[in-house]
Amino acid sequence: MPSKIFKGDMPELLEHILNHLNNEIDSLYSCALVSQHWCKISIPILWQNPFSVDKSPLFISQYFSSLDENEKLVESEATLHKFYINFVDHEIDPEIFYSLRRNEQFFSRLQDLSLGEISQYNIEGVTALLDILAKYTTTICSLKFEVICYHDKPELLHAFIHVIKSQKQLKQFGLFGGPTTTLETHDIISALKSQKLSLQELTFESCIFAAELETLIDCENLEILRIRCCDYANILVANLNTLEIRCLSIDTSNMVQSLQMSGSLLQQLSFELMDGEVWKELLILETLKSFCPNITYLELRIDGLSTQLLELIGNLQNLQFLTLVVYNIPEADPEIRVMHFAKILPSTLQYLDLGHFWLNTYIETLLNNCNAPLKNLRKS
Amino acid sequence: MDNGTSNSASENETITLKSCDGIEFHIDARIANRYTLLNNWNGGESACIPNVNGKVLEKVLEWCEHHINDPQLNCGDDDSRRRNTIIEEWDENFLSCDQDMLFEIILAANYLEIKPLLDLGCKTVANMMKSKSPEEIRSAFNIDNDYTPEEEEQFRKENEWAEDY
Repeated sequence: MPSKIFKGDMPELLEHILNHLNNEIDSLYSCALVSQHWCKISIPILWQNPFSVDKSPLFISQYFSSLDENEKLVESEATLHKFYINFVDHEIDPEIFYSLRRNEQFFSRLQDLSLGEISQYNIEGVTALLDILAKYTTTICSLKFEVICYHDKPELLHAFIHVIKSQKQLKQFGLFGGPTTTLETHDIISALKSQKLSLQELTFESCIFAAELETLIDCENLEILRIRCCDYANILVANLNTLEIRCLSIDTSNMVQSLQMSGSLLQQLSFELMDGEVWKELLILETLKSFCPNITYLELRIDGLSTQLLELIGNLQNLQFLTLVVYNIPEADPEIRVMHFAKILPSTLQYLDLGHFWLNTYIETLLNNCNAPLKNLRKS
Repeated sequence: MDNGTSNSASENETITLKSCDGIEFHIDARIANRYTLLNNWNGGESACIPNVNGKVLEKVLEWCEHHINDPQLNCGDDDSRRRNTIIEEWDENFLSCDQDMLFEIILAANYLEIKPLLDLGCKTVANMMKSKSPEEIRSAFNIDNDYTPEEEEQFRKENEWAEDY
């Protein structure tokens, strides 16, 4: 007798199992051929991310052409829940995307969409795909646009905005530029205002902001904000439990205000400022010490092993994960400073990552004076 | 968000759970604190966990006890989509039981909402399917093939892109 997991009584469990094979196309293909029930569960997973390994444009064309003709897909009423696609630097015939209009049901329950690496060769096709998604899909909860350049392609930007605005309950949004592409955010953030009641998580990487981020204060359910590799950020958001800021510069008073408003809700913080203005770091550390005692995950890349830093860490009585990169060696008595650092590590700390920190040269001093029950110590 | 520090029970506190076949287990209260449903069955003499027998509950509680100090951090980022099938050595040994017990553990973890154990069990089963043919999977899990040859051929045709992978 097969377990009831496999017979159709508990489809959610078989789906949970097969989701672990989401990068194993050949295994999923086999699973879909096991039985009709397995086919129904496997097909949406099989079709959701076939481009995780580089494939030729022929393969992409074949995939979408099959989608148009696939009777089993329609019969099984399979719908796509996740769809991740990176367009490699090849031209794909836009007709393939236009043909998708004949299989509108396939996208009707899409929850998770990630589009990336759209080159100039595929603008027309991708715009067609986005138009279809905007028309037939209102259920996307998680939306990511990666390594996409739209600053001189208004039709693409318009299509992105259309998809954002068409959703009923967008919860997670990510916009990722690349090493050579920084993205203007004004229009995207304006579109995100249409989702202000549902948005919970926002990530911006390699983006350009002016004052737009201040408008996010209206997103009352926003809990997670990540801003990476941006020149400048002026955040003003309350009630965050996770904040990641890695910028060249920030509006310090806004950041202080956000930390004060998030207060004891803040549990995870990753912070790096690259403008070399030490006073800003010290002000942030002081604010964290005074207002955010419940941090469990802290990642800091900062200038020095300051008194403010030691006081902050000593004050975090729930801290479990600490990643610390301190760039400058104290001028006076570095070993005594390390000893002091080791002694103030909270008794809840389990994971300590020192990166390429100079402190590694005093590792014995650190371990001899540390009372925290470390499970994992990383250094390089 | 659960920050992993909500174990308000002390190390010496215990609670009593009873399996559906009447076997009692006295467990560290911190385990029940981590998993709300377990906590709900604490106490009363007649309170027992339906659907989970003593043999399975013993295994589930063994796993919970071993992982009692695991952090419950939701580091989030994008990792939820990058599922993998890597399993730590202790867990691998723990689930090296017979197939029926493995499936019972998965069902119990699902019922009791012990998500890390459910995930682990599902990963283990997924690993058993890796790189196998449909026939091998059917045979491993005792499943009947309800495809007609025509349907199977049609499926292969429609999903040709995946066969070439």
